[in-house]
Amino acid sequence: MTATAGRPSADDPRVMLDQDVGVFEPVPPYPPRTEREAEFYTLGDGEMFINLGPQHPSTHGVLRVVLKLDGEKVVDLDPVLGYLHRGVEKLCENADYHQTISQVDPLEYVSSLFNEWAPVMSYEKLLDLEVPRRAEYIRVLSGELNRVASHALFMGWMALDLGGLTPILWSFIERDEIVEMLAALTGQRMLFNYFRIGGVNGDLNHEFMSRLGDWMGRATQQIDASLGLLNENEIFVRRMRGLGTIDSATALRMCWTGPNLRATGLPFDIRRAHPYSIYPEIDFDIPTRTEGDCLARYLLRFDEVKQSLRIIDQCLDRMPDGPIMAKLPRLLRPRPGRAYAAVEAPRGQYSTYAISDGTDQPFRLRIHDPSFIHLQSVGLLMPGHLIADTMAVMASLDPIMGGVDK
Amino acid sequence: MDRLFRGRVEARFEGRLTGPVRQRHDTTEMRIGPADVPDVLRTLHDDPEFRFTFLSDLSGVDTGIVMQVVYHLWSDVTPDWLRIIADGLPRDDPRVPSVTFLWKGAEWMEREAYDMFGIVFEGNRDLRRIYMPPDYASFPLRKDFYLADDAARSPGAGVRHMEQVHRPREAAAADAVRRVRA
Repeated sequence: MTATAGRPSADDPRVMLDQDVGVFEPVPPYPPRTEREAEFYTLGDGEMFINLGPQHPSTHGVLRVVLKLDGEKVVDLDPVLGYLHRGVEKLCENADYHQTISQVDPLEYVSSLFNEWAPVMSYEKLLDLEVPRRAEYIRVLSGELNRVASHALFMGWMALDLGGLTPILWSFIERDEIVEMLAALTGQRMLFNYFRIGGVNGDLNHEFMSRLGDWMGRATQQIDASLGLLNENEIFVRRMRGLGTIDSATALRMCWTGPNLRATGLPFDIRRAHPYSIYPEIDFDIPTRTEGDCLARYLLRFDEVKQSLRIIDQCLDRMPDGPIMAKLPRLLRPRPGRAYAAVEAPRGQYSTYAISDGTDQPFRLRIHDPSFIHLQSVGLLMPGHLIADTMAVMASLDPIMGGVDK
Repeated sequence: MDRLFRGRVEARFEGRLTGPVRQRHDTTEMRIGPADVPDVLRTLHDDPEFRFTFLSDLSGVDTGIVMQVVYHLWSDVTPDWLRIIADGLPRDDPRVPSVTFLWKGAEWMEREAYDMFGIVFEGNRDLRRIYMPPDYASFPLRKDFYLADDAARSPGAGVRHMEQVHRPREAAAADAVRRVRA
């Protein structure tokens, strides 16, 4: 009857059964390209490979990790990236300055405002543009809210990766409130596309302010109750303490930043180390811990959330009147030059390096993502630990694969 | 802008600089030849006068004329970012020494620059592709790598009307590579 009657159809389940699907050989089918690859893919006595991912739920996206095991102990591991690579840097080179803001949004999709903030700041430097103070305050306000949402999500995920289901339900309560608030402000729940070159897209509105006012009244208590669920849980604490320990000198050599670095005892925060926006006017502490293990990284984020609440409080207190956008032409053509801007994102230093050649498209937009840097160190932290701890260590570094793979 | 710091950089790296030390906004920029990268960065990292212990970013750049590797460093001795441009890598065989001996964390950033630009970092012991598949043959962020879209072929010269983004295919000149003298 049909033309395909004689040929096997891809819809036919019997055909699919014959095909060799779903088998992931951990060892690559080509000769090793580098010294390190050759060393990794040579098995020692009693060692074996196991393939983790790329669809494993604990990898927070699509990450494949080849583990080299000795019994249940991890000897070495090799992360294989690129499953989510979209070529954002290339797309940005072929979009005009305003369009790149929406291109960078889905990189670290749980903290999108920071993804927008860094490129917008570097374009403002290229244009020698002064941002109105009200816009800066709104940026800091919404950014810190986003930081709380991101940390809340991390703390739920962390427990989920260790096998605890309850905390993520609680942390999603907090996260959802904030995300709805930001949706009232920006129009989107996750990929906000809110910051503009020279300001922000919309002014504070009634719905946002009333939701925020509601939430701020009970935020401290509520965060203690819902995010602090595990802080003294004995099973959790024993599992996390002493796991994936790193000292500050090594962390520096691995180019760590953000909460992961501060958990080793170094009070390095871009908001203080290289101040931007209105952070110099705002009073907050940089929490640190000295242990450098998974527990320290977890608890440090809890402290950071409290500091973010302080910042939000001060922003609301001092919010100036005025315009929210600088006056600038719709089509931007910055004169040729280079600009580098870094912001303190929830995961560490998120920075962009923009080059202009005088046209309406950036000549180059380099995006430096903290998740990428931190994920690199899993291979350093894991050896000697159990295979089940791979997820715990990876989760404690809080990588977002959208940012890792760009 | 930290004028004093500029003087110190100029004095210390007298013979090494291949261009003037520039400053704009919150960045001090210096240019060196690729062969001087290990020495200059080691001095900046180890010398108590500089203490540049944070490697903030490592990036490859294709200007359409030459390749560059750009390092951004942070230190507590100056409020500026320090940008070091290893300039003048030939486009057909870009090579630069690796900085993994100072910052092990530069390894993946160098792999990324290799993957996207084909810049070979000598001394990086794991220099293989990181995003693209192993059998992939080209380098996507090079300026002679076009997107399939016609809009990408525009030389980017001058303002285009919004309605006129898609230029006819034959309008793209053979040497429509975007170049910048930077």
